[in-house]
Amino acid sequence: MKVLAAGVVPLLLVLHWKHGAGSPLPITPVNATCATRHPCPSNLMNQIRNQLGQLNSSANSLFILYYTAQGEPFPNNLDKLCSPNVTDFPPFHANGTEKARLVELYRIIAYLGASLGNITRDQKVLNPYAHGLHSKLNATADVLRGLLSNVLCRLCSKYHVSHVDVTYGPDTSGKDIFQKKKLGCQLLGKYKQNDHHQCLG
Amino acid sequence: FGTILSEPLPLTPESLKVSINSTKQCLHLQWTVHNLDYHQELKMVFQIQISRLKASNVIWMGNYSTTVKRNQVLHWSWESELPLECAIHFVRMRTMVDDARIPAPRFWSNWSSWEKADAQNSLGDHPLYVFPKDKLVEEGSDVTICYISRNHQDNISCYLEDELTYGKQLDQNVWAFELKNVSFHRKTGTNFYCKGQGVPEGVVLFVSKVLEEPKDFSCETRDLKTVTCTWDPGSDTGLIQLPSYTLFDSFSGKKTLCKHRNRCDWQVTQDSQEVYNFTLVAENYFRKRSVSILFNLIHGVHPLAPYNLFPKSVSATNVTMTWKVSSIGHNSALLCQLQLLGEGKQHNISVRVNGEYLLSELKPDTEYMARVRCAYADHFWKWSELISQNFTTAEAAPSEAPDVWRDVTFVSGHPTVTLFWKPLSKVHTNGKILFYNVVVENLDEPSSLEVLSVPAPANSTKVTLNQSSYQIYVTAHNSVGPSPASAVAISGHPENENVEEGRVNGTEDGFHMSWKPQSRNATGYVVEWCDDPQNLPCVLRWKNLGPTNTGTVISSDAFRPGVRYNFRIYEISAKRMAHLLEKKAGYLKELAPSYNPEVATINLTSHSFTLSWKDYSTESQTGFIQGYYVYLKSKTGEKCHREFEKTILPDNSVGCKYTIDNPDQKTFVVKDLQPESVYEFFVTPYTSAGEGPLDDFTKVTTPDDYSHILIHIILPMIFCVLVVMITCYLKSQWLKDKCYPDIPDPYKSSVLSLIKFKENPRITIMNVNDCVPDAIEVVNKPEGSKIQFTGTRKSPTETKGTKPVYLDLLPTENYSGPGPCICFENFTYNQAASDLGYCGHFPVTPQAPHCQLGPLTSPENLLKTLEQNYMNSLGEIPAGEANLNYVSQLASPTSGDKESPPANPPEPVLCSEYKMQMAIPLGLASPAPSENSSLSSTALLNPSEHCH
Repeated sequence: MKVLAAGVVPLLLVLHWKHGAGSPLPITPVNATCATRHPCPSNLMNQIRNQLGQLNSSANSLFILYYTAQGEPFPNNLDKLCSPNVTDFPPFHANGTEKARLVELYRIIAYLGASLGNITRDQKVLNPYAHGLHSKLNATADVLRGLLSNVLCRLCSKYHVSHVDVTYGPDTSGKDIFQKKKLGCQLLGKYKQNDHHQCLG
Repeated sequence: FGTILSEPLPLTPESLKVSINSTKQCLHLQWTVHNLDYHQELKMVFQIQISRLKASNVIWMGNYSTTVKRNQVLHWSWESELPLECAIHFVRMRTMVDDARIPAPRFWSNWSSWEKADAQNSLGDHPLYVFPKDKLVEEGSDVTICYISRNHQDNISCYLEDELTYGKQLDQNVWAFELKNVSFHRKTGTNFYCKGQGVPEGVVLFVSKVLEEPKDFSCETRDLKTVTCTWDPGSDTGLIQLPSYTLFDSFSGKKTLCKHRNRCDWQVTQDSQEVYNFTLVAENYFRKRSVSILFNLIHGVHPLAPYNLFPKSVSATNVTMTWKVSSIGHNSALLCQLQLLGEGKQHNISVRVNGEYLLSELKPDTEYMARVRCAYADHFWKWSELISQNFTTAEAAPSEAPDVWRDVTFVSGHPTVTLFWKPLSKVHTNGKILFYNVVVENLDEPSSLEVLSVPAPANSTKVTLNQSSYQIYVTAHNSVGPSPASAVAISGHPENENVEEGRVNGTEDGFHMSWKPQSRNATGYVVEWCDDPQNLPCVLRWKNLGPTNTGTVISSDAFRPGVRYNFRIYEISAKRMAHLLEKKAGYLKELAPSYNPEVATINLTSHSFTLSWKDYSTESQTGFIQGYYVYLKSKTGEKCHREFEKTILPDNSVGCKYTIDNPDQKTFVVKDLQPESVYEFFVTPYTSAGEGPLDDFTKVTTPDDYSHILIHIILPMIFCVLVVMITCYLKSQWLKDKCYPDIPDPYKSSVLSLIKFKENPRITIMNVNDCVPDAIEVVNKPEGSKIQFTGTRKSPTETKGTKPVYLDLLPTENYSGPGPCICFENFTYNQAASDLGYCGHFPVTPQAPHCQLGPLTSPENLLKTLEQNYMNSLGEIPAGEANLNYVSQLASPTSGDKESPPANPPEPVLCSEYKMQMAIPLGLASPAPSENSSLSSTALLNPSEHCH
C-alpha cells in the first residue's frame, strides 16, 4: 500500500527497518561503482535516528518562531495560511524495501534542505532582527545536511546507490513578500507535522 | 525649412504602445512622431488622456512637453494610485507644435486611438489576488489596495494587520480599499490581507518615515590629509533600506558616497585646495534632502590627542612631564596646554613632536593628575581630546608639630599622664606617619630622659610619672624624618579643681564660651570636653587657642541635643604648664526630662506625709533641672491645699500643683491633709524645655486619728501575747509532763526487766482474754474526794447519791480464769470499746484485798492508791520491782465532774463510771502458760476481744 508522506513522521519509520529486505531500486545501474569519501560510521542508523529525533523535537518551536515573526494574519490563520498542502513534497512509501525507503528519505531531506535554505534567505531580508528565528533555521539546516550525508552513506555503502534524482520546492525569490511568508509557513507546517508519539517509535 | 516653418504641420503621435510596470504601478507609454523632417527638432506638447475600466471614463488628462526629433521614440510614464492589475486602463494622446519658430495659430492634432492596458490577462487562476505587491509608501500618505476575486459568491473581508477595512466595489470582481494617512508599524512591513473561504491572500506594505534633513553638518580635519564631515541624520526612516548619503564638493566637482549615515570622510588631494563647498545629499525612494557648508581646511584643524604622557624626575616638590603629539602637515606646530588638576594652574607649551615641562612647587607625598591637550597653533579652532596621567610626589618630613593634650590622674599620689594627639593633616604629614616619639624629660633631674615610640595610627599613650615636674615632647615621624616637637609640661602635684562650674548655652553653631584670663603671661588656652559624655571612656577633645583669645565657639558633629557637656578651660603658661581656669556645663539644646524620679512616701500621718526623691540625679538629665512640680489630687475635695494651685493635668483631669523652684530640694512635705483620705501625688522635674513625662499617680491613704493608739498600745500587747504563746509552746513539753504525763509503754516498762529474772519469763503483760471482768463498785465516797468520771453514760440523777461510794473489786461469777485481776480501761487507747458500752473486766487474784480508793483528789493519789493495792497483792514482790505499768487517763479530773457522784452502779457487765486501766501484778495475774496466752499490745486495741 502506498502511503503518502506527511511531514517527517514517515522518516521515523526508517528506524524500524530491517536489513536485507526487498530488492534494490533501479536508481543506479547494478554495475555502477559507489565510493564514499569516508567510511560510514559504525553506528550509522543510530545517528540517523538521533538526527531525526532532533529535527522532530525542534520542528514545532521553529514553526512557532516563524509564524510569530511574520505578524498578523499568520498566528491567527494557521489553518489556512500555513496548512501543509505542499503538493510537490516527495512521496514516501512505508511498505517499500529499505533501499526504496532510504531513497525516498533522501529525496525528502533534499527537498526540505533546499526549501529551508530559501526560507532562511528570505527571512534574513524580511525579518533581519529575528535572530532567534535565524539561528533556529540555521541549526535545522545543519542537521538536515548531516542527515542527508548519513542517508547517502547508507545508500552507497550497502546498496551502492551513488546518485538519487531529487526535486525541490518552488523558488521564492521572484515572489512577492506575502507569498514568501506564506510558502515558508506552509513548508514549516509540513515539516513540523508529525506525531510526537511516534518519535523514535 | 522656411516653408515648413511657415505652415502648420499635421503632426500626430504614432505607434503608441502602453505597458504596465507592476513594481512601480506605472503605465509606460512610448510613441514616435514620423512626419518630422530630417534634422528637424521641434518643441511639441503632447496631451494625454487616461481612462479606467472603459474608454469614456477619463480619470486623468495632462500635457507633456518635449523637443522631438524625427523618428524619435518618446517615453512617458504615469503612476496610478490604483493598482493597475485591478482595472483596465485606456490611453490616448494628441500633439501640438509649441515651438517659437512656428507662428500661431497652433492646432492640436487628432487623438490617437485608445490603447488598452489590461494586467488581469496575465494573472493566473488563483481564486484571490491582492494588489499592489510590496508597495513602498511614505508615512502620512494615502494608498489604495484592491483585490480580485474569481469566486463571485465568496464573502471576502480585508484587514490591515488585524483591523477590518472597508472598501468600494470597482467591478464585479474587484474591490478597492483606500488607506488614508498610513502610519509606520514596523520595519518588516505591514500586512494587508483578505480572506474568504479559501486561502487568505495578502500584500506587505512598507511604510517609510519621512526622511529628515541632516542637522549639525560640520567638517574638520585631524591631520590636514582627511576631512571628516559629521551630521545628525535625524530619526530613522524605519525601513530596512537605509537612505543614501553623498558628499559633494562644488569647487572641485568631486563627490563621494558616504559609508555611514552620520559621518563621511573626504580625502584631501595634493592640489593645495584649502576651501571646499561641501553639499551633503540625503536621498531615499521618496525624498532628497541636502545641506551645504563652506569649509576652510586650515580653519578646521582638530588635532589628535597627544599620547605617551609620563612624569619624569619626580621629587617631593618637582616633576617633569613629557608627552608626544601627532604631526600635522609639514612642520606645523601645536599649542599644548598642560593642566595640573587641583592646582588650578595651566601651562601653555608650543610643541612640534615631543612636549616637556617642569612642574615645580608641588606638595610632598601628594597625588596629582596632569592633563594635556593640544590645538593647531597657526589657527586655533578646537582643542584635542585630553589625556591624563597620575603621579605622586616623594615624601618629606612632617612640617608641623602634632597637636598634643594631656589628661592627668593621680594614683597613690603619682601622676599618670595620658597623652593625646591629633593626627596631622594631609597637608602637614608629607608622607605616611609611621610612629610617634614621646620624650619624657624630668625637669628636676635633667639627665633623666625617657623615650617612648608609639606606632601609628595610635593617638594616645599613657605615662606614669613621679612627683616631679616634667616636660614631655611629642614628634611625628614618617619615612623621611620627624616633625617639629610639641611640648607639654606636667607638674607632679594635683591641679586645683576648686573652680566653680558655670553654665554655657548651646546654639546652632555650637557653644559660645568666654573666660577671664588670670595671668598676663599665658601662651594660650585649651578648652577640653568629651564628645560623648554618656559613654565611657570619654573621647577627649580639645581646642588650642592663642594667648589673645578670651572666647571661642566649640562645635562638633558629635554634639547632640539633650546631652550635658562639661567643658574645662585651661590656661597655658610660658612653661607649657596647664592651669584649670574655668569649668562650664551646657546643653546644645535643653530637652524636657525624659524620666521622673522614684518618689518614696515617708512620715505618713493622718494629716501629712513626706515625699522624697533623693536618688534622683540632676546631673545626668536632658537639661538643667530648674525644679520640680508636685501634683496632688484628692478624692474628697476639689479645693487645693495651701501653696498648691489648681491646674489642668495633661490627661485633662484637674489637680493641684506645687512648684519647687530649687533643683536641690528633693523632699516635700504634704500637709493639712484629712485623716482617712486617699490622696494621689506625682512628682516631675522641669527644665527650660518643659516638664517630665506624665506618669501614673501614686495613691496614699492617710490613717485615722486613733491609729497611733493601735500602734502604741495594741501592737505591744499583741507582741506580749505572742511572746507568752511562744514561751508556752516552747515549754509545752514541760507542761505536758507536769499536767498530762505520758502513758508508759508496757513493753518498755522496767517491770519486764524484772520478769526476766522470774521463772515464768513468758508472762509479759496481761492477756485480756484471761481477765475476769469485775465490776467496780463504789462503796464509799469519802467526803471531799473527787473522782473524775469520763465516758459517763448516765446522768447524775440516775446514780444513787445516797449510796456510800467506795470502790470494790468483785470477782465475776462466770469467771473461770486462773484468778481475778484488775482491769482499767484507758479510753485514749480504746475509745471504740467505750463507745460500745463495754468495759474491760480484768481478773483479780482472789487473795487480793479490796481495792480501795482513797480520796482521789488527783491522778497521783489514785496511782498511789493503786500502787499500794498492787503492792499489797503482790506480797512477795519486793518493793521497787513490782510497778504498775499504766497511767490512768481518768485520773485527770474535769471541772464539770468534780462534784458529780459516781455515775455507774457496780454492774459487772456495764461500764463502770470509773474506767480503769489495767494494773497487773505481773507475778500473780499471769495466766497459766499456754500457746494463746501471750497478748500483744495490738490485741488490746481490738474491741472485739476486750470482753467476752
